[in-house]
Amino acid sequence: MPGIIGPDEIRRVSQAALELPGVDGVEVMFMHEWGGLTRFASSAIHQSTWSEDTAISVRVVSGGRIGVASSNDFSPEGARRCAESAKEMTQFIAPDPLYPGLAPKQPVPERDRFDEATAGTTPEQRAGGVAALVAQASDGFVAAGAFETSAAEVAVANSEGQFCWAPSTQASLTAVITGGEGGNGFAEVFGGSVADIDSEAVGRRAAVKASASQDPRPLSPGRYTVILEPSAVSTPLGFLAWMGFGGRALLEGRSCFSGKEGQQVAAKSISIYDDATSPLTLGIAFDFEGVPRERTDLVKDGIFVDAVYDMRSAKQAGKQTTGHALPPPNPEGPLPLNLFLEPGDATLEDMIASTERGLLITRFHYSNIVHPVESTITGMTRDGTFWIENGEVAYPVRNLRFTQSIVEALSHVTMIGRETELASEFFFSASRVPALKIDSFNFSSASDH
Amino acid sequence: MLDVAKQAVEAAKVAGADYADARVASEESEALTVRNQEMEGIDRSSSLGVGIRVLVNGYWGFAATARLEAHEIERTARLAVEIARAASRLPSEPVALSEVEPVTATWSSSMQEDPFNVPLEEKVALLMEATRRMQQVKGLTFAESGLDFYRVKTHFASSEGAAISQTSVHSGGGIEGTAIGEGEIQRRSYPNSFRGHIAAAGWEHIQRLGLLEEAERTASEAVQLLNARECPSEVTTLVVDSGQVELQIHESIGHPVELDRVLGMEEAYAGSSFVRPGDRGKLRYASDLVSIIADATLPGGLGSFGFDDEGVPAQRIPIIVDGIFQNFLSSRETAPVIGEKSSGAMRADGWSNLPLIRMTNISIEPREGSLQDIIGDTKDGIFMATNQSWSIDDHRVNFQFGCEIAWRIKDGKLTEMYRNPNYTGITTEFWGSCDAVGGREDWTLWGTPNCGKGQPGQVARVGHGAAPARFRDVRVGVRG
Repeated sequence: MPGIIGPDEIRRVSQAALELPGVDGVEVMFMHEWGGLTRFASSAIHQSTWSEDTAISVRVVSGGRIGVASSNDFSPEGARRCAESAKEMTQFIAPDPLYPGLAPKQPVPERDRFDEATAGTTPEQRAGGVAALVAQASDGFVAAGAFETSAAEVAVANSEGQFCWAPSTQASLTAVITGGEGGNGFAEVFGGSVADIDSEAVGRRAAVKASASQDPRPLSPGRYTVILEPSAVSTPLGFLAWMGFGGRALLEGRSCFSGKEGQQVAAKSISIYDDATSPLTLGIAFDFEGVPRERTDLVKDGIFVDAVYDMRSAKQAGKQTTGHALPPPNPEGPLPLNLFLEPGDATLEDMIASTERGLLITRFHYSNIVHPVESTITGMTRDGTFWIENGEVAYPVRNLRFTQSIVEALSHVTMIGRETELASEFFFSASRVPALKIDSFNFSSASDH
Repeated sequence: MLDVAKQAVEAAKVAGADYADARVASEESEALTVRNQEMEGIDRSSSLGVGIRVLVNGYWGFAATARLEAHEIERTARLAVEIARAASRLPSEPVALSEVEPVTATWSSSMQEDPFNVPLEEKVALLMEATRRMQQVKGLTFAESGLDFYRVKTHFASSEGAAISQTSVHSGGGIEGTAIGEGEIQRRSYPNSFRGHIAAAGWEHIQRLGLLEEAERTASEAVQLLNARECPSEVTTLVVDSGQVELQIHESIGHPVELDRVLGMEEAYAGSSFVRPGDRGKLRYASDLVSIIADATLPGGLGSFGFDDEGVPAQRIPIIVDGIFQNFLSSRETAPVIGEKSSGAMRADGWSNLPLIRMTNISIEPREGSLQDIIGDTKDGIFMATNQSWSIDDHRVNFQFGCEIAWRIKDGKLTEMYRNPNYTGITTEFWGSCDAVGGREDWTLWGTPNCGKGQPGQVARVGHGAAPARFRDVRVGVRG
C-alpha cells in the first residue's frame, strides 16, 4: 500500500511551479488519493477495485489574467510544465476585474482526519465486511452495494507564501437488499474511519426494510404528509446547496435566495449551516485557495442569512471569503460541501405516531432540477416507501415521483429528528441531517414497482 | 506504451492471474469558456496511468496506478490478484468470458484538423465573437460560449495475446444565453445544451457548428422566454426535436438495455432495468416506427472505436427492430449468461477505472420527413426543444424530462411560445405512442459527454443519432 507523500516532498515539487518567472502569482493545488472499493451484487463480490493517483493543478496570474493547467505528473518537471502551459493561456485572457489576489500567508488549524488503519484497509478486510453484511439478508433476498475505504492528502501552496496540507481518510458502506415479493431495503454509513463501519448493522437495517417493503401497493399521486429519513433529507439539502447557497449564484441573481437575505424562507425550526471544522463531518480545514474554512450560517431559525464565498465572489460582494472555494477552474463559484441541518427533539417513532395519513420515505433516486429559482426538483422514491395510517406504518407502497419546491417543503416542516446521520446524495457529498416530517409534499406521478 | 501494458499483463500472470488485461491510457483535454466577452477560463489537463484487470479462479480484481516504474506495475499487478482472491470470500459462479479473437491492431478516429494544433487565439476569437453577437440582444444577462477538446490514447494488452492501440479525438462547442427576470431564469442553448455539440472529429466540426450565425437567435429566444407563459398542464400530442430525442433514447432505451443493469450488477447505485433477459424478440418496447441500432462503427460518434476495452471488435447491433426489443449491450462476462457473445460495449473512464458496459452510439433509425413536416402534420399539440433536465426511476420506467423551450402547435403551425416545459411518462407506453419519426434530413449524430455510471463513478462520452419525433397522449407541464 502507498503512504502519505507528505508536506516536504509536496513543497519541493510545488516549488518548481512557484518559481515560474515573469508572472504576478502562482498557486499550486495538489491532491493524492488512494483507496479500494469492494462492490457487490446478488450477494457476491463482482467488481472490486483499487487505484492511486496524484493531481497537480497550477493557477498562474499575470496582470489579472488567469490560466489553469493540471496533470497527474507529480514531479518538478510536471509542475513546471503545468505552470508554463497556464502562463501561455494568460496571453489570451482579458484581466479579471474581480481578481482578488491569492490567499495571504495565514495559519490553518490542524485537524486529525487521517486514520492509518483506514488508509491501509486490505481487500480481504473489505471483503470480510461485505460478507458480514450479506449474511444479514434473509433467504430469498440478495444484497448489493459498495464498501469503500480511501485516503487523500490535499495541499495548496502559493507565491504569497501560503502553504497548507491535510491528510484525511473516509470509509463508507452502502447496501440495497432486494428479494421476496418486490422487497427493497436501503441502508448506508459514512465515516472518517473504517472503525465507524458496522457492516452487520447496515445489513440488518437494509434487510428489515427489504422484508417490510414486499408486495407494495399502488398509491395515487397527490399531496401527502411525508416523513423523510436522513438519506432522503440529503437530496433536497444537496440540491439547495447547488441552487441556493453559492455566493456567485446569489450575486448574479441565479440563486433561489437571491434578494432574500434576512427573509423567512423556511419554518422557524430550520437552521442550516456549513462547517468543515466539525468532527461530525468529513471536511478538511481549508479550501482550494488555501483559506481556512469557517462555520457559516446559511439559514438560521428559518431566515436566510447568507451564502458561502470564495475570494472572488467575496470581493464582488464586499465581504470576506468564508473558505468555500472549489478547485480551479470553478465557474460555478463557491459551494458548501459540509452541510448540517440542525437536529430537533423528535424520534422517528414520534413522527410516525403523530401522523394520521402519510408516507415514510427511505431515500430518493436520480433527482434533478425543474425550476432553479423556485428551488423545484423532481425525483423518485426507492428502496422502501411506506404508507402510514393512524400513527402506524400500515403497508409498503410503490415508488412515486415527487415534483416539489424545496423551500416550500422546508416551510412545512413540523417535526425534526433528534438524531443526525451523514447521508449521501446521488450527485453531492454527504450532509449531516436528521429525519424531517413535512406536512405537504407533492407527488406528481407513480411507477410500477 | 503498449510495452508497458504487456509488462503489466506479464506481472499479473506471475502474480497468479489466470487471465489478465491491462490498459495504459493517456488523456489530454482543453476547455475554454467565455462569458460576456470575458474569458472565464482556459483549462488544460493531462493524465497517464495503467489499469490492470485480472481473473483468479473466476473472480475479478482490478488495480490502477499512475506510477509506471516497473516495480510499481508489479506491485499493482500483485494487488489486483490480491483483490481477486479476496472476492472469493463470497462464493459465486466463476466468471466465464465469451471468446474473442485476440488481435494486434491500431485504430484512430478520423479528423481533418487536430484541434490541439489550432492556436488559442483562434479559439478565443470565435468564442468572444459569439458572445459579442449574443450581447447585442437587449435583455440578455449572460452570453456564454465554450469549446472542449479531448484526446485519448489507449494501449490494451491481454494474456490471450491481444495488442491494440487506439486514439480518439473529440471536439465540441456551444453557446448559451441566459436571461434573468423577476423570479425567473431562462436559458437557450445552441446547438445543444450542456456545452453544445460534441463529436469524434477535429476543428472542422467546430467550424461547421454555426455558433456565430445562431448567436442572435439563441439569445433572443432566451429573452423572449422570460415573458412567455408557463407550459400548460395537459395531456396532448408532443413533438420533440432531435436533441431531446437524443436524451429520451439515452435514458429510456440506452440504459435499460445494458445487460449488467438487467443482471442486477448496478442495483445499489444507478439501479436495474425493467427489461428481462427473456424479453429478446418478445417485448414490444415501442411502436412499429421505432428501430434502434447500437453502432460502434459509426464515423463521428463519441461511442465509436475499433475495439472495446476488452479487445472486442466494434459492432453494429440491432436493439429494437420495428418496436420489438432484440438485443442487449453486453460484455464478455455478461453475454454468456444469456448464451451470447459480447456485443463489444465495455468501456472504461480513463486508466484508473475498470471497464463497464456503456452505450456506444445508440441511435434511432430515420424514417421520413423533416421536423417541419411533422409539425405541419400535427393539428394540435406542443413542440419542445433542447433538453434541460432529466430524471428516471431505478428500473427506467417512470421518467420526467424538461426542455428549454416549447411552442403550441395549431393546425400545423408553431404559435405561442411556452417557458419551463416538461413532460412525463412510462417508458414503453411513451415509445409505444410514437407515430412519427423524422427522416435523414433532420437526423443528427449527437454526443452525450456526461454519462455517469458505476462505483467509483465513471463518466463516458457516448453517441446518439436522433431525429425529431412525435408522441401521442403525453402529459406535459408538470408543476410542483
